[in-house]
Amino acid sequence: MQTRRSFLKFGASAAAVGALSPVAAHASSGDIHWDESHEIVIVGSGFAGLAAAVEAGKLGAKDIVIFEKLGVYGGNSTLNAGQACFANTDLQKKLGIKDSVDLMVQDQLKAGRGYASEELLRHSAELGPYVYQLTKDCGCVYRDHIINTGGTSATRSHQVIERSGAGFIRPMLKTARSYGVKTKIRHKFEHLITAKDGTVLGIQVRKGYHFGHEHSGQLINVKAEKGVLIATGGFGANVSFRKALDPNLGEEVGCTNARGATGDGLVAMLSEGAMPVHLSFIQSGPWASPDEGGFGYGAGFSLYNFPHSIAIDRNTGERFMNETADRKTRADLEVQRRDKDGNPNPALLIAPKHEAQKDPSMENVLKYNVAWEFDSVEAIAKHFDLPLNPLKKQVDDWNSFVKTGEDTQFGKRMNMSTGIYLTAPFIVQRLWPKVHYCQGGIQINTKAEVIAAKNGQPIKNLYAAGEVSGGVHGVSRLGGCATPECMAFGVTAARSMMKA
Amino acid sequence: MKLFTPLFTVLFSCAIAFSAQAKDQRDYHEMVYDSGCKTCHDQGMKAFPSDEACLQCHDMGELAKQTQRKGHEAAQNPHDSMHYGQEAPCMECHGEHTTKQAICMDCHNFDYPKFK
Repeated sequence: MQTRRSFLKFGASAAAVGALSPVAAHASSGDIHWDESHEIVIVGSGFAGLAAAVEAGKLGAKDIVIFEKLGVYGGNSTLNAGQACFANTDLQKKLGIKDSVDLMVQDQLKAGRGYASEELLRHSAELGPYVYQLTKDCGCVYRDHIINTGGTSATRSHQVIERSGAGFIRPMLKTARSYGVKTKIRHKFEHLITAKDGTVLGIQVRKGYHFGHEHSGQLINVKAEKGVLIATGGFGANVSFRKALDPNLGEEVGCTNARGATGDGLVAMLSEGAMPVHLSFIQSGPWASPDEGGFGYGAGFSLYNFPHSIAIDRNTGERFMNETADRKTRADLEVQRRDKDGNPNPALLIAPKHEAQKDPSMENVLKYNVAWEFDSVEAIAKHFDLPLNPLKKQVDDWNSFVKTGEDTQFGKRMNMSTGIYLTAPFIVQRLWPKVHYCQGGIQINTKAEVIAAKNGQPIKNLYAAGEVSGGVHGVSRLGGCATPECMAFGVTAARSMMKA
Repeated sequence: MKLFTPLFTVLFSCAIAFSAQAKDQRDYHEMVYDSGCKTCHDQGMKAFPSDEACLQCHDMGELAKQTQRKGHEAAQNPHDSMHYGQEAPCMECHGEHTTKQAICMDCHNFDYPKFK
């Protein structure tokens, strides 16, 4: 944890230094010295950037380049549970799950609390089955089990067998390269290069950049013939930036993101006059563990187990939330679990081993001290200093809900835990939210074009996709809904550029 | 004075060399130090070595074999991991003059007892 924090500080100061770099280069196209020129320029090698590269390759683009700031590919996209919500897939049909684009959009609008963009959500959901097939064509392999994520009215979170975004990123990277896409690490995007009328001509890149060493490498100008796609992700790892937007998210709050999630792409687009949307809507993950850094193993364990497990307040020995409510509902409630002095007192997720062991995540959390096994309710109460009788009663009450199929306590959807009683032995993980996702970003339309603040019109030759775009999800994004959205808008940006 | 200048330059550059060497260095790299800083610093002394520099002597495939893990932990092989395969550059985790830790440790409580 300490190391993670020192990284976050580091990232924040690094980003602050970055902010001093020249803001924009206005020039007539004649007097810029271009070091490189490419048909399509993509910044970021996560879900959005790779989906765009693969789609552009499919559409016959001959010269595509992806610049990645870090020394490794995949950014934040490779660090998650590898889930993607799609509606209307063959796997859902095979498992007898009824779902639709409309239902998926409705669920997301509800979590968006009146701020989400129905138009953008619908565009993404409609492209879902195409994206699902595209990933399979790239060689991504899905599990036969579909995950039930929070806030959904149908089970739709398709998960790759690695149970990590790596299961998408690596096959997609390989596929992109098979189309001749050039992939370059240690290339940090500095700023856009625009003509006097605001048209994006290309970008300035710091080649040979080492993260945290802001003056490493050399500046080069890269011309983009068909357009620039900014797919740089969020700013969750940039503490000063996120704290300015939400004072509750200072140093002491952990973060699941990759080091590189510092918001460079966002800041560069803002300085070119792009429209900022919902920047203060920053989401924390309710499945995170305080006993490891970043996303780690705990998230996968609790994601799998939330439907048939209970989350317990250590002061009362009782449940305090619907364990499958949307992320914001749960994270807000979890962060309120405090001891008598007001210090964090993380809640306990209590899962039945007989069900938890069906997912490989159990082995990981036990081995690396992110969760522990107990052979009785008494042992849990003793170890974590919980009031025993309320805890016992709570477990009994919960099991009666499993039996009747109705949670009279918090209204949880119980069809995912049918017949799965909470019996010993138990696996227990602590829960404490970590900053996970930035709903806010710059405004895009259904063509993945970036919208200018001054006139609401697209900025010519500038595209954005993924977490760097804002306004899609509103106040809170549902689990498993960023991956398909990143890819859908990456695909869209590629199609727009190839038509342009 | 004129005669003194080259000598001063030599002494001064030695001081710079020693200042770098006063920082961490791996004793098993002694041979590399003997053949001069530019053996690794292939992009000039003010820049980081290229990601190919270490690969003059080290082979990622061989390292992956050396740090192989079995069964469930196979994907936790730092030189052939689930996230980055064999593509993570050496300097992402290892430092010659600075203390670093594996990037895996950002998120995981892994135990790499032989990590240097």
